[in-house]
Amino acid sequence: MATSPTASDPPSSPIAASDTADNNLQPFFVLHKALPGKSEKRASGSGRTRRKIDLSASSPKSAEKSDQIPPDDSDAICEKLRLEAFERTWSKIDSTIKEVLRQINLNLFNEVLQWIQELFSIIKSSRTTSLSEIQRPYPLLTDALCRRVPAAFVFTKNVEFVDDLLTFQDLGVHLKSNRCHVASLSGLDFLAKHGIGGCVRSLLRQLVSDASDVADFAVLASWYCEQENYNNPIIIIIDDMQRCNGGVLGEFITLLSEWVIKIPIFIIMGVATTVDAPRKLLSSNALQHLQPCKLTLGSPAERMNALVEAILVKPCSGFSISHKVAVFLRNYFLRHDGTITSFISALKLACSKHFSLEPLSCLCLGTFDENRRDEFDAFPGPILRTAFDLPSCKREKISQGSGTSITQGLSQLRKLQRSWSSVVMCLFETGKRSKMQLLDIFCEASDPNLQISSMTRGIPITGKLGSGKAGFIAQAIHRVRELPIALLPHVLKMWSLHMKDMNEVIDKVKELQSNIASGDGGQLYKEKWTDIHKRPVYLGARKGTVSVNDKAAMLLDDMVRKYLTPIECAPFHEIICFGHVEILQSALIGDTRRIIQVDLLKPQNHLRCSCCNGDENIVSPTMHDTSIMYYLSQEYGDVINLHDWYQIFKVTISTPSSKSRKRLHNSPASKKLKTTPTENEAEIQSRFCRAVTELQITGLLRMPSKRRPDFVQRVAFGL
Amino acid sequence: MASRGGDRALPTSAASGAAAAAAEEMEEGGEEEFGFSRNYFLAKEIGSASGKRSAARKLSDIDLVDEQVLRTSLAGIATKHEKEIKALLKRYKDLYPRWLFELRCGFGLLMYGFGSKKVLLEDFASTTLTDYGVIVINGYLPSVNIKQVLITMVEVLWDQLKVNRKCPPNKSKMQLPSSSQTIDDILSFLDSQISTDNDGFICVLIHNIDGPALRDSETQQHLARIACCSHVRIVASIDHVNAPLLWDKKMVHTQFKWCWYHVPTFAPYKVEGTFFPLILASGGNAQTTKTALVVLQSLTPNAQSVFKVLAEYQLANEKEEGMPVSTLYTKCRERFLVSSQVTLNSHLTEFKDHELVKIRRHSDGQDCLYIPLSTEALEKLLQELV
Repeated sequence: MATSPTASDPPSSPIAASDTADNNLQPFFVLHKALPGKSEKRASGSGRTRRKIDLSASSPKSAEKSDQIPPDDSDAICEKLRLEAFERTWSKIDSTIKEVLRQINLNLFNEVLQWIQELFSIIKSSRTTSLSEIQRPYPLLTDALCRRVPAAFVFTKNVEFVDDLLTFQDLGVHLKSNRCHVASLSGLDFLAKHGIGGCVRSLLRQLVSDASDVADFAVLASWYCEQENYNNPIIIIIDDMQRCNGGVLGEFITLLSEWVIKIPIFIIMGVATTVDAPRKLLSSNALQHLQPCKLTLGSPAERMNALVEAILVKPCSGFSISHKVAVFLRNYFLRHDGTITSFISALKLACSKHFSLEPLSCLCLGTFDENRRDEFDAFPGPILRTAFDLPSCKREKISQGSGTSITQGLSQLRKLQRSWSSVVMCLFETGKRSKMQLLDIFCEASDPNLQISSMTRGIPITGKLGSGKAGFIAQAIHRVRELPIALLPHVLKMWSLHMKDMNEVIDKVKELQSNIASGDGGQLYKEKWTDIHKRPVYLGARKGTVSVNDKAAMLLDDMVRKYLTPIECAPFHEIICFGHVEILQSALIGDTRRIIQVDLLKPQNHLRCSCCNGDENIVSPTMHDTSIMYYLSQEYGDVINLHDWYQIFKVTISTPSSKSRKRLHNSPASKKLKTTPTENEAEIQSRFCRAVTELQITGLLRMPSKRRPDFVQRVAFGL
Repeated sequence: MASRGGDRALPTSAASGAAAAAAEEMEEGGEEEFGFSRNYFLAKEIGSASGKRSAARKLSDIDLVDEQVLRTSLAGIATKHEKEIKALLKRYKDLYPRWLFELRCGFGLLMYGFGSKKVLLEDFASTTLTDYGVIVINGYLPSVNIKQVLITMVEVLWDQLKVNRKCPPNKSKMQLPSSSQTIDDILSFLDSQISTDNDGFICVLIHNIDGPALRDSETQQHLARIACCSHVRIVASIDHVNAPLLWDKKMVHTQFKWCWYHVPTFAPYKVEGTFFPLILASGGNAQTTKTALVVLQSLTPNAQSVFKVLAEYQLANEKEEGMPVSTLYTKCRERFLVSSQVTLNSHLTEFKDHELVKIRRHSDGQDCLYIPLSTEALEKLLQELV
């Protein structure tokens, strides 16, 4: 084991040299074990609280800046609080997500359970086999038709199987709680390499606690005959059957069919694509051993709307995201891979970044939970005071002496957020009838520039996201006008549910409801309603009269103008709202292919040296050898002649730095180079070798093939 | 002539899909196909160019120095911008608390950018992760035994939990996994059995998680399963531009949970490059006594003994072209090293993969095996292998 160095060691000499040499060639080694009893007083190193946050993770600010605030214990306390706050916040979000998804899938789960129970009761009533018969090695001689395994194909309507992993996990839990034995298998258990043994072993491992490593189905039979296991069905869940090897899965099904009379086995298989997928994957022999049943999951869009409502619109945890982050997450979801899993993991990363970067973020929970107000007392005063340096406070000219305390500010923020989310839900209530997605409305409604448009009365609200067309909010309002009168009562009822805290709105909704109930078809005189606001001119509105639909639209319009204030417009929002979209982006998507090339072509960006020329097109001999080589390789096509490359490299590094040459425009091969053997030839050759190796490590180069020994292959072309 | 470093390339085309399973196929077939289609057009291109002037120059036209001299000189290359690199690493020190925070939040750290990140990561681990046990995996080596790593991980974690809780876990009947158990068993032990309360973790530092030793999809699956154990955090580095193709969405989002950091260091890849062939060395042969020894030591004792049989034969019959496979089989069987031709073949495949053994056609038409090392190097290897 290597001894760990003291914390003051510079990074260039981290570990004792003698140990390093040995350890470098060990496949693995223990660097150090945990030091006991140190965890409490661990200093947070140079991570002082900073108001100014480094906006680019790749180029951290110089170390001197971090010393502006004298070091004290408050950093460590603050960091601990923030970590706790993150854990509590995320566990809240996480449990909300799980609950939402479970609720959505509950119908399917019950359908599955009902299917199992019905079939199982039939099996039980017709079964006469005794315990001893079950354990007998040979199959029972009964009707061949009975030897079919009940199989439910769950169509996920989603090619991305990651999202359904959790669904199948939950299904397993649900079935377990309903007295079923459940085993979950995945594509990795059905590999051609391991054959049928792999999946049987995995099955036994999950059900039989003291299973040996023998893939023998008789073990399961005897396990099933034990008192506590008998009389309950065995469910095998395969989350994505299309990732299984068809041959192995077919064999497995045939094996199950031989035992199905003795042991009640049910299979549930997830199918990501089309109805004919099982037919394509399995042989007809295996298929005829199945007794199929088809079930369908809810669509991903449905799930997404429910999730956005629960975790973003109605802030379940106190944490929220800024408009820019919301737009980024939306684009990431739509364009990157469209899976809810990736959306959630991006949100988690945003959440952790928020608590990592924002010193005051631990107050986040205080805004949500009234009982946690005492946290303010525990909080170090100097850090608390930095709240007044937040840009939002400076913008609103709130200072420490101006009478607004942080607690007041935060509770106002919370109030604002509540009414904001109620209006967003009302908008979605109408918008979803024209297939609007909640995330789109959310993005538009959280835009801080929206406030300006809602200030100017009389002009129809237009959002920015609609690009060319009216925004989603305007569309939703317009949609109310077109609603059939039969649907309106339902929408109004939902509005009153969402706006239950706002009496002013509730009264108006009630009035509308009574109008509809009185059955007058909604013809009212205009004068009575113009006091809401000066109504913009709408197409199709009849002069002098206003329909109930129009009135409802006006009400919604009014709610938007009054209550839809984005959180970013309020002071102290930085405490609960994450807005560093660049940091999130860089942590989420590492564009290795482009960035490693940029590193090589523009090393000065990071090294900040004075010797190399800053001009992109000039190769300077002081540059890194690998950088020079990569520069030079840009001149070539698919393959690089090693001889030419070497010669040009040699010339480049031998040229005095004052004569930095312009990049070569002619083909390097056409240059006549005089090879004068010098004593440093070995050094140049070794530097050339090192640079080629380094390019090979980065994957930007392929080694010569047998057919073409004098050429290497370029791999990446252009950034 | 390209040695293993060159052959085991990552997939080239992004369109080949993220599935890790594809990586292996790409290594074999992809390169050939890619090479072929490109080569066709290149042949045309070069053909027309060479019509105008002399044919493309050959590597042998360079006045190549002796391999030994080259290697000596390689060790003595001065690092450019040493001062700036130091300053860069010092600037990254500011990020350490943030990295620690993210590890504690349950994320894995993935470092990329040009330059060796070995020093940076080990410095981070030894200054900031002092509260947690740290195991380092050198993925740039030709092979790593994941099972051994797992067993060590369990031991380190076990010790750490014992110390933290002051009293040993009460499951006295529980036994620590040994090498006789399968990887699955150890993984499920690591994941579930140890403890349920959340009192710390151990950190696995993987240099080059995209390196030759860890590149195959099975190992990546194992690493992904290690990464999602509640008491394990992973800090890894990648250097290859196509490294993200090793993982599918399940691995990325639910297992590794990467938080990316772009930390170019521009430090030379000294250790990482040890196992790559030198392009200007004659034959581009990477195998030296040292590299062969490292590979051999990672193999099973039986495989080592089989290798010894072959080496001894080669030393005793220097003039022969090699050892016929049938002779090797008979000798190994006599010494109870292998029980069947299949076992021997599996050892031989391993040797061939690591370029420890090569095959050539004997003058009588029979295939025979030889070790591509000089007599002195082989003697030295045998001495050190004991």
